[in-house]
This record gives sequence, C-alpha cells and structure tokens, in this order.
Amino acid sequence: MSALEAFFEGVVIAVSWPVIGYMAIGLLLGIVLGALPGIGSPVGMAIVLPLTLPMDATPAIILLTAIYAGAMYGGSIAAILINAPGTESAAATTLDGYPMSKNGLAKNALAIASTASALNGFLAAIALILLSPLLIEVVLAFGSPEYFLLAVLGISLITIVTQGSIVKGLVAGALGFMISTIGTAILTARPRYTFGQFGLYDGIDFVAALIGMFAFAEMMKLAAQKQIAGEDLEIAGSIREGVRTVFRYPVTTIKSGIIGMGIGMVPGSGATTSTFVAYAEEARSSAKDGKFGEGDPRGVIAPEAANNPTVSGSLVPTLSFGIPGSGSTAVLLGGILMHGLQPGPVLFDEQLQITYALFVSVFLGNVLILAVGLSIIPYASKITELDTNVIIPMVIVLSYAGAFTLNRNWFDVGAVIALGVLGFYMVRYNYSVIAFVLGIVLGPIAEENFFRSLQISGGEYRIFVHPIDRPLSFVLSVAIFLVLFGPFLKPKLEEVISRR
Amino acid sequence: MLVFLFVLGVVFFVEPLIEEYPEDARVFPQLTAAAVLVGSGLLLVRNYLPGPIRSFVAEEVSITSDTTELDDDLETAEPPESDEERVVEKETIGSEYGYEVNDTAFVVVTAIVYFFAGWAAGFFWVTPFYVVFYTLWYKVRVTKSVFLAVLAMAILWVFMEFLGMPFDQGHVFDFSPFLPDFRQFLPFLLEWGGR
Repeated sequence: MSALEAFFEGVVIAVSWPVIGYMAIGLLLGIVLGALPGIGSPVGMAIVLPLTLPMDATPAIILLTAIYAGAMYGGSIAAILINAPGTESAAATTLDGYPMSKNGLAKNALAIASTASALNGFLAAIALILLSPLLIEVVLAFGSPEYFLLAVLGISLITIVTQGSIVKGLVAGALGFMISTIGTAILTARPRYTFGQFGLYDGIDFVAALIGMFAFAEMMKLAAQKQIAGEDLEIAGSIREGVRTVFRYPVTTIKSGIIGMGIGMVPGSGATTSTFVAYAEEARSSAKDGKFGEGDPRGVIAPEAANNPTVSGSLVPTLSFGIPGSGSTAVLLGGILMHGLQPGPVLFDEQLQITYALFVSVFLGNVLILAVGLSIIPYASKITELDTNVIIPMVIVLSYAGAFTLNRNWFDVGAVIALGVLGFYMVRYNYSVIAFVLGIVLGPIAEENFFRSLQISGGEYRIFVHPIDRPLSFVLSVAIFLVLFGPFLKPKLEEVISRR
Repeated sequence: MLVFLFVLGVVFFVEPLIEEYPEDARVFPQLTAAAVLVGSGLLLVRNYLPGPIRSFVAEEVSITSDTTELDDDLETAEPPESDEERVVEKETIGSEYGYEVNDTAFVVVTAIVYFFAGWAAGFFWVTPFYVVFYTLWYKVRVTKSVFLAVLAMAILWVFMEFLGMPFDQGHVFDFSPFLPDFRQFLPFLLEWGGR
C-alpha cells in the first residue's frame, strides 16, 4: 500500500461512523476532565483505557487521543477562571489568564485559549501528515539493538527533562523495568518473582499500573489538597474580541506552535515544558511593550498556541519509537499496546492507514475544539465547581472496575492500590513517575529487543556500541552517555577550554 | 522510600539466584535490579560520598534551565502549595466530633477496605456502601450521595451485563442470587426516554 493510498484510507476511517462519534465523545470528555483541577488527561485516559477493551483498535486509540487533545484546552478553563490549572500543561496559562479574568476579560481569555489551541493544533496536524513520509524512512532504519537503546534513551531523556536528580530518575526507570519482569518470562515459560501466587503469573498488567500511578495516586493527591470554593463565577468580556486577538498576533501564534511541536517531538518532554518555554520566549521577545503577569493576552496566546501542537509532536516518538513524552502519551502507548498494535515499523508500513487515521482525527478534533470551546465559554465555570469529594470515590470505583476487567485478576486491582501509593510517594519525593511508567510499559519490549540483539550478536554486548556494524546503535549509545553525563562534563570541559 | 527501593532491588537480584532461573529469564531483571540497587544505595549514602560522585548523585539537573543545584535533602521535599485564593478547609463528620483524620490516609484506608470487602462480597454490593460512606464523611448532601451510589452501581451493572464481569459474586459471600433482573426495567426506561 502506497503512502497516498494509506492516507486516503486513513481519512475514510477517521470520518466513518462510529469513529467520528468516539472522537467527539473523547474531546468533550477531555475538555471536562481537563477543566477539573487535579484530574487532567492522564487520569481520564487511564480510567477510560480498560473500557476500550471491547472496541476495535483504531476507534479506541482515536478516543484516547481525543481525550488528550480535549484536556489540553479544558485545562485552560480552570487556569483562567480559578487560577488552578486543570492540567500541568495549563500552569503557564494561569500567569496571564487569571489576571485577564480578574480584569473582567475572562471570555476574551477563554476565547483566546480555544482559538489558539485549535488553530495551532490544526496546523500541527497538517505538519504531522506532511512529515510522516520522512518518519517512515527513519523508523524503518531501526532494528532490535536500536529499539532497546531507544527505550534506555527515552528514560534517560525523561530524567533530565523533568527537573530533579538524574540518579533518582534512572532508579525510577529501572524500577519500572524491574516491575515489568514479574510474571512468566518472555523467552522461556519460567515464572519470575511470583512467589507461588498464580495471580502473578501474567505479571502486573501495565494498564493496571497506569491506573494506579495516575488515577489512584492523583486521587490521593487531590484528597490532600484544599477544596476550591464552589461559588458562582461571573464570566465577563467578549468572545469575538478574544478570537480577533489571536489573529492580531500571528507571529506569537505561529512561533509558539513551532516551539510546542518541536518540544513535543523530543522523547521525554511534554506540554508542561513546551508551554513554559513558549511563554518565556514571548515574554523575552515582547519585553518592551508587554505587561506579562498582569493580563497580557500574548501571555495566554503563547502557552495555548503551544499546547495542542505538543500533542501532535508527541505522537511522533510515541508512534514511531514507542517512547512517550508525558503521562498522557504513556497511557496512549499503553492503549496502543493493549490493542495489539506495535509502535514502530508496523505502524508506518502495514498499518500506515491507522497512523494516518489518527493524524486526521487530530486534525478534525481541533476543528471541534474550536466549535465546542467557543460555545461552552458561558457555562465553563460550572465544570470547575464540581466537588472533589464527589469525584474521588467515583474515580476509585471506576479504577477498580477497569483494572479487574483487564484480566479478571484481583492482583491487578491490588496493583492499582500498591502502585498508586508508590506513585504518590514518588511524586512527593521527586522521583519521575513518567520514567517509572515508561519502564513498566516498555519493559517487555526492551527485554525482548535486548535478547534478540544478543542472539544476533552471539552474546556479544558490542552490538550496542559497534560504530561500523551498527552505526545507529553507536550514535544512540553516545547520545545516552551525553544525556546522562553531559550536564556534569560540560562545566569541566568549559573550564579546560577557558584555561587554554 | 530509599530503603524500600534498596530492599526491593536486593530481592529482585537475589531471587533468580536462589530459584536458579535460566539465563534468558535472569539477565534482564538482574540488570535492572542492579541499577535500582546501586542507584538507591548511592542516594542513601550520598552525604558520605567524595565530591564529584556526590555532585553526580545529588545534583538536580534540567536541560530547560542552565543551573544545577545540590539537593541535600532528597526525601523531605514538600510539594509546592497551590494557590491559596478562594480555598476552604474540608469539613468532615469526624472533625465535628473532634476526630481529625488525614485526608490522604482516609482515601487509602477506605480504598483498601473497599477492595477487600469487594473481593469478599462482590463489588456490586459493596460499592454503594463505600460511595455513601465516603461522601457522607465529607458532608456531601444525602440526596447527592445516594444518587452517586446508584450511579456507581449502574456503571458496575453495565460492566456485568456487557463485559460479563462477575461483580455480583464475592469469594466469601455470594449474593448473586439476590441480583434483580434489571433488564426488565429497560423497556420502561426506553419508553420513558422516547416520550
């Protein structure tokens, strides 16, 4: 099947019923979940993930992606109206969004958020479709050693992109790999670390781990937070003026979109990074006439124009190499694997139409975000008034039901609690939860490719670093070394150079 | 946390040796366990390490900022406080009677009790008690609390009906014979919905 044929087949899939219906449901659900402070897209996606089990792979993945994209916009609603970002990626929007709201321009700020999000998400989806032929070439050049090294590089990048101690990040990633080895071994039928419990023979389902780390741990965190007062908020301002404002600053919009998509493509970095970088760049370049922090509309345009392109950008490493950039893409990757799809060459060759269907649905989803986003503005405050004490027990009921549904195994429900508590403390003590989750999701793939590589090389570990036989592996090994030790070697190197 | 990770690393490293796992089932988990073991071990003794190794272990690095800082107190970092504007303290039934219960602990303990009760008697029967108890503890209105309990039961019924999940059966008590045939209400609901 040629790329063009696959593209048209993808378009047909994306606009067919009920796929387009799932996309609409996903977007609406994403907007609502994103608007609830403390919930956000990873929690929503983790809860919905097991419910997609009876569905076909394509609509299930499109549903999850739509939740992700919808939550990107939804997060800004709470950020603008109550100064409590619904998602981490909306934190940068609070800086000028909330002051705009206090200045009586809440409608303008919300209209800016939905227009900038949708417009750039739309453009980024087009860029993604245009970029995919190049991606296909890159992906097909990878073999087993490269996939193993990519998994390690992904975890290394996450440890350095998310601020904190590198060693802690590596421990979190290795712990994830380690937990993934519980159950029957991949290459032999030998049970490992089951301690005589039959319920552990299938291992800990990574979807249960995702539910635990995101849904259960988040509920623990949410319970500890103080309640946001549920009072009636008056939403003032003009929607039309807000839409116009985005087009008044085309450079800000396009530049932030490029930043968002570029950062999204880097494995390990998510929308939290891209929105802050876009905001900081706008504040720097408009320092002369800007009133950032006091309700400057460019302070809302920049992060909002960056967040949805980050979704498109993050699909690149997730689909091509199986390296997610954030909690949401980790859940998405979990969905891809759960439905029997394999990130990498297959998704860019035999199943290219599925990849294109996903890209097209992202494109269509952004049109819907604009329509829905603008029409719900007058009622947006109602979403943020939902009581967290109502949300928590319902999320826990859904988490248990979802985890049990995976394999009808009570150990999966137990894993939700155990890993939820672990996730809560990991966040508390600054361990990278994303690195841990990535380790669990990628563990089996990494182990399989690790052994396949050793089988190819006859047990020689040189296959991972041989510059002539496996130049790509060599480059990846060097990249891992530089990512881990670069920040420490750089000052020493600069010292040596300055002495000369 | 670090001690827990260290012990877990030891268990995962030693278990394959004790149980004599074959090589292809042993190497990968032992490599990962070694990484956890060494990493958590280094973090545990970071204050006694020589300068360059200590800075590698304890320094916080990010490619999004140029600065690196030494994190001496790796396990006492408190999460940043969220915006304090328009926030209210949570009122509970316990606080009314002078019992202050930590909210996080309450979530975990009730969730664990719910898990074991669900395992013993079936989630379908235990869920309404869990939802009602949890919401009433936080003084959610009774009508809202009952509505949520019914909603939760309805969700579980959908799981049972369409995915065949045995949520009405427990491992100790089997109340499944008491489950009403909710399908008989469906025509009424559909008729009501069509009006």
